[in-house]
Amino acid sequence: MTLALREMRRRPGRFGIATVILTLIAILLMFLGGLLDGLVASSTGAFRSQRADALVYSASSRNSLERSRIEPEVRRQVESVPGVTRVGGLGSVQLGGRVPGRGTRDLVPTVLFGYELAPRGLPPTPPATGTVYADDSLRAKNVVVGTTIRLGSARSAVTVVGFVSDTRYTGQGTLWGSLETWRQVLNANRPDARVGPGVVQALVVQGGPLGRAGLPERIDRATGGATRTLTITHAVNALPGVAQQRSVFNQIIGVTVVIAIVVVALFFALLTVERTALYGVLKAIGASSRALFAGVVLQAVVVALIASLIGIIASLTLNELIPAGTIPFVATPARLVSSAVVLVVAAVLGCSFSLRRVLRVDPAAAIGGTP
Amino acid sequence: MTTPTESAGTTGPALEMRGITKIYRVADDEVVALDHVDLTVASDEIVALVGPSGSGKTTLCSIAGGLLSPTDGSVAVAGQEISGYSGRQLTEFRRNAVGFVFQTVNLIPFLTARENLLVVDEIGPRLGRAARDRAGQQLEELGLTDRAANLPTQLSGGQKQRVAIGRALMNDPSLVLFDEPTSALDSSLGDQVVRLIRNEMKARGTAAIIVTHDDRITHYADRTVNIEDGRIAQ
Amino acid sequence: MFLALHEMSRARVRFGLLICAVGLLVFLILAQQAIQGGLISGFVGALRQQSAPVLVYSVDGERTLQGSVIDPLLEAKIRGVRGVAEAGWIGQSTFTVRVDGGTESDAALIGYQRAGLGDPGRLSAGRRPVGPTEAVGSVADFTVGSRVRIVPNGPPGATGPTFTVVGLVKDAQIQVTPTLFVPWAGYEAAVKSANPDATTILPSVIGVRPTPGVRDAELVRRINAASPDADALTRSQAASDAPGVAQVQQSFQLIFLLYGLVVPLITGLFFLIITFQKAAALTLLRAVGARSGALVRSLLIQVVLVVGGGIVIGIVLFAPLTLIQLGAITIRFDPGAVLFWSVALLVLGLASAMVAAKRVLAIDPLEATTGAGGL
Repeated sequence: MTLALREMRRRPGRFGIATVILTLIAILLMFLGGLLDGLVASSTGAFRSQRADALVYSASSRNSLERSRIEPEVRRQVESVPGVTRVGGLGSVQLGGRVPGRGTRDLVPTVLFGYELAPRGLPPTPPATGTVYADDSLRAKNVVVGTTIRLGSARSAVTVVGFVSDTRYTGQGTLWGSLETWRQVLNANRPDARVGPGVVQALVVQGGPLGRAGLPERIDRATGGATRTLTITHAVNALPGVAQQRSVFNQIIGVTVVIAIVVVALFFALLTVERTALYGVLKAIGASSRALFAGVVLQAVVVALIASLIGIIASLTLNELIPAGTIPFVATPARLVSSAVVLVVAAVLGCSFSLRRVLRVDPAAAIGGTP
Repeated sequence: MTTPTESAGTTGPALEMRGITKIYRVADDEVVALDHVDLTVASDEIVALVGPSGSGKTTLCSIAGGLLSPTDGSVAVAGQEISGYSGRQLTEFRRNAVGFVFQTVNLIPFLTARENLLVVDEIGPRLGRAARDRAGQQLEELGLTDRAANLPTQLSGGQKQRVAIGRALMNDPSLVLFDEPTSALDSSLGDQVVRLIRNEMKARGTAAIIVTHDDRITHYADRTVNIEDGRIAQ
Repeated sequence: MFLALHEMSRARVRFGLLICAVGLLVFLILAQQAIQGGLISGFVGALRQQSAPVLVYSVDGERTLQGSVIDPLLEAKIRGVRGVAEAGWIGQSTFTVRVDGGTESDAALIGYQRAGLGDPGRLSAGRRPVGPTEAVGSVADFTVGSRVRIVPNGPPGATGPTFTVVGLVKDAQIQVTPTLFVPWAGYEAAVKSANPDATTILPSVIGVRPTPGVRDAELVRRINAASPDADALTRSQAASDAPGVAQVQQSFQLIFLLYGLVVPLITGLFFLIITFQKAAALTLLRAVGARSGALVRSLLIQVVLVVGGGIVIGIVLFAPLTLIQLGAITIRFDPGAVLFWSVALLVLGLASAMVAAKRVLAIDPLEATTGAGGL
């Protein structure tokens, strides 16, 4: 169908504006998608990086780490569930950190985690009391190895000994230390949330290869309903706002795709009307409707591909330009490619509205036709 | 479905129409465009089809070229009976067996002269190199080699008609149908075009039907057929 | 007018698709505008609705109620600032609750020590709490008479304090969670039941009222000057400077910009193309005496009908959304926003048609005779 391509090359103006509009829509799809991905990534990093099969909350915590409390007896019950190989405690506290070199009122929001079973990227034994690993995102806040951060109103000091990537929680940079570090900092800064010895907020559980199936249910049974256990994936989705963000954004993206289909349908409807005489002549000299329509589809695909390409470049540029910590936008290859695919499919669907009109062109009208 | 491979020297007639009737329904009325028309065109004959507007000459031409199906009667082009063909079969027939030169819109506006000739190959057999060679030959014969890369807007009326004729011959047809080829041209240019048509048709031994009311064409044709009110005048 | 409508009825598919596209875009813009408003209101509505004109956080709290703690030393400094007429404790925590014996859900409690400093300024129904077991709830989540029981940590079936909702307030959520305003004693009881290990319950912020004659902003300045640990904000600042609010607004700003651009581009493209397509007919009309102005007016009428039609469709699609709740976010029909976008899109649509209008004005009626009027 070089005829279709040649028309686009020789008449770029006519396809230019449609390409601009589809490019805007491509940018919208990629921006919305990237915003969603960024929001979700920054909320869920700490959990996604857990090397575990299940996360155990207390029953009344409503899957909220901050409200959950696991006492030592409950932990013992969990440890004795058949199929459970390793159990580690997890605790968190959200505090403002003072980093040297920043103003006294210029606090860095952080979440300090105490862990036993190491997430991805962290050493198997937690660092010594008073030392922590910092999430990569904190590098943007003047944090380097050796920085001592003072947390909370008690100015609890923790020293950074290394970095780990993609472990953010609820949009904030995280610090990872031992349970003892966590307990000390929590009790010093949050008297109303203080925990006794041996108490943690949640348990991270590993089951051996035979023990994974049905693990959450078995754990909850063993504790007599005092716990609510979720698989890690489930726990990630249950983090505040994640499921809702996904649903709202996906609906907006869905409507935008419908708009793309309508725009392409509109544009090609206009174009086909103009080409009636041309199609008449082509049909008269023996071109089949199928061949002509294939040309239309090809044009729609090319426009969508060009729009997607520009959209991808724009998204990557946006990724560079947006200062870290403002808009939570991230441009992942999966999102960019899937947006492009969706746009191409929408373009094909949109131009198929013109199929009937192409079929209806009567070659006999080419003879003796008016200009 | 057989396609004729040689048009020169084929013994059978290029066109044989018997008892062709075409009736249109317009609102509550019936319009009889053609009424039991018989027409035979020999394999290398040029026939001028003359008649006033509304006489049915365009309809006749359309049926001969496989653009329309008759209500009744039989049409055979180079031995191929097409009156019962489906839309798809007619499309393939037009692609392989006939050529058209229309009155107005002939050329594709965004293609050069050479590309307009090659369109026929693209929608059809896709011979590639062979088609390009043939197009080059055609352009040379028509005196358009130096205009090969020009768009229709850059060609004169006469040049455009020559390109149209070249394109009509690209698929080596058994029959070429011309619809008022000189109506938009002045007298000397029209004369040139008509002479060109005759030369090209005779050189290949290809049959042609030329719909016209221009006397010069009847002069260059082998035979004139008059049509009025849907009937051939004897 | 006649010409404009006539053409539209002859080309129903094209104009239909265009109005459809504009309608969907308007719907998306209005929906997102409402989501943005609902989201921000869900985050900080309670801050806007509570009665203290000045809120003093601890700097470590980073302007979140839940993160801020005021210790007695800081409190003393705040109370000692010149211009403080009244000060009261305000605390905030989130709990697991059962409403009227139903399934477990979330609720944020805001405890206030003094009436007029931390409780809602204006109720939409009911009355204010009298005792420690009464509460005022966010109107989207509670009804008057609801009984809300705190579910504490501990063995299943353990009971915490129960609150009875006696009043309701609009747009008063915090952290997009159902919210209850309770007197301090009730708040303290709830916190202790959820964490038995807790020792002292300290306030999250201090709500302050300035003495007559001292402006809120001035008092904020004085308090911040009195201690580097104090982070005083006026009520409206506390809402707008809360973390996440600026982020939400910035993200949506960009989204609105892009969607807003798509609308005039589509209408501009459409009208330009059809103007080219009917150039021959327009030339003919000019040749037989139609005035340029009349043809342009016909074009603009079509633009108004198309954009107007799209706006109507968009509003019709959007209105039912305001009856449901997206999770905990309340979608509100804001006539001001709807009016703003209607006017803005209409103006943008007309502006985009200027290119087509220019083309119409450039038509030379003489071309009708040469047949060069077509393109």
